[in-house]
Amino acid sequence: MPNATAPTNRPHWLRVLAFGRRPKATLVRILVLGVSCFVVFRFCLVPIRIDGISMLPTYRTGQINFINRLAYLRHEPRRGDPVSIRLAGPSVMFMKRIIGLPGETVSFQNGRACINGHPLDEPYIKLPCDWNREPVQCGPGQFYVVGDNRSMAFEHHTQGRAERARIIGKLLL
Amino acid sequence: MRIIFRLVLLAAVAGLGYWLWTVFFPSPEKVIRARLTELARTASFGSGDSPIARGLKAQRLANHFTPDAQLSFEAPGIGSRTLTGAEEIRQTAAAGFHSLSSLRIKFLDVTVQLDADPRTAEVRLTAEIRADGSEDYGVQELLFKFQRVDGKWLINRVETVRTLSRAATPRPS
Repeated sequence: MPNATAPTNRPHWLRVLAFGRRPKATLVRILVLGVSCFVVFRFCLVPIRIDGISMLPTYRTGQINFINRLAYLRHEPRRGDPVSIRLAGPSVMFMKRIIGLPGETVSFQNGRACINGHPLDEPYIKLPCDWNREPVQCGPGQFYVVGDNRSMAFEHHTQGRAERARIIGKLLL
Repeated sequence: MRIIFRLVLLAAVAGLGYWLWTVFFPSPEKVIRARLTELARTASFGSGDSPIARGLKAQRLANHFTPDAQLSFEAPGIGSRTLTGAEEIRQTAAAGFHSLSSLRIKFLDVTVQLDADPRTAEVRLTAEIRADGSEDYGVQELLFKFQRVDGKWLINRVETVRTLSRAATPRPS
């Protein structure tokens, strides 16, 4: 007859809570999770915090978003895509919207963006704009990018032709 | 056991020796990075800094450049400017330091590339500039050219890299 007071091999409940019933399996799970997070958030969906007013009202300062770095593996960037453009490295990036594609001419007439002289329909523009600018032609592999907040003075709004190699991905949300 | 102890001791001594070597004979890349950190610190000041302290900072800033240095920069709202010579850089810095209440400069994503000529090096980085305690800030991609003069790495040229080019297409005549 077994002794009721004999010590059992069951681990302490705190240890079970911290490491699971099978610590080796828990360790493997943690490693897989860590590697997956590293790969996903470093190479696929890069988390960013938006700072600045140039994409108002679509994106506001303090919002968290992700850059989908796989978005342009199968096709080239498209008109209307909000994209991130790298500077010297990944710490700071410009966030803009593509309005002009390679070979196209972009101008602003009475606040409206024109592509090859034809006004562009931009439902995401909510703020008033009075820009008038001479046409700019995008070369091969160049995309014209601009923010959604066109109520800013043209001179203070960072915009222009970006090389394809600088566009690192499309905004996820 | 004694062999293992000796091996560990040998590895520790080798590690210490390597560390001391890098401290006393730092690589050019390390020296350039340290100089950039010092440059950012010199070019930054707070609202509490006295006019004399700012003047000294402007003087120290000029010491980072070669006598024939050229600084060309472009910024939204300011346009493009070129400063030639350490003295003009010092005068412009002194005027700028007195007209602003505070300035914070940070260099991010620094990439140092040593040229084939061991006396020159090229550095790409993103500069983050906050003026007058504003929450809003400007970012610029910059290209620095360093020159080794009398054993010291000095800045010979600074240019703004046009991440986004927006110059109008010239009209056919």
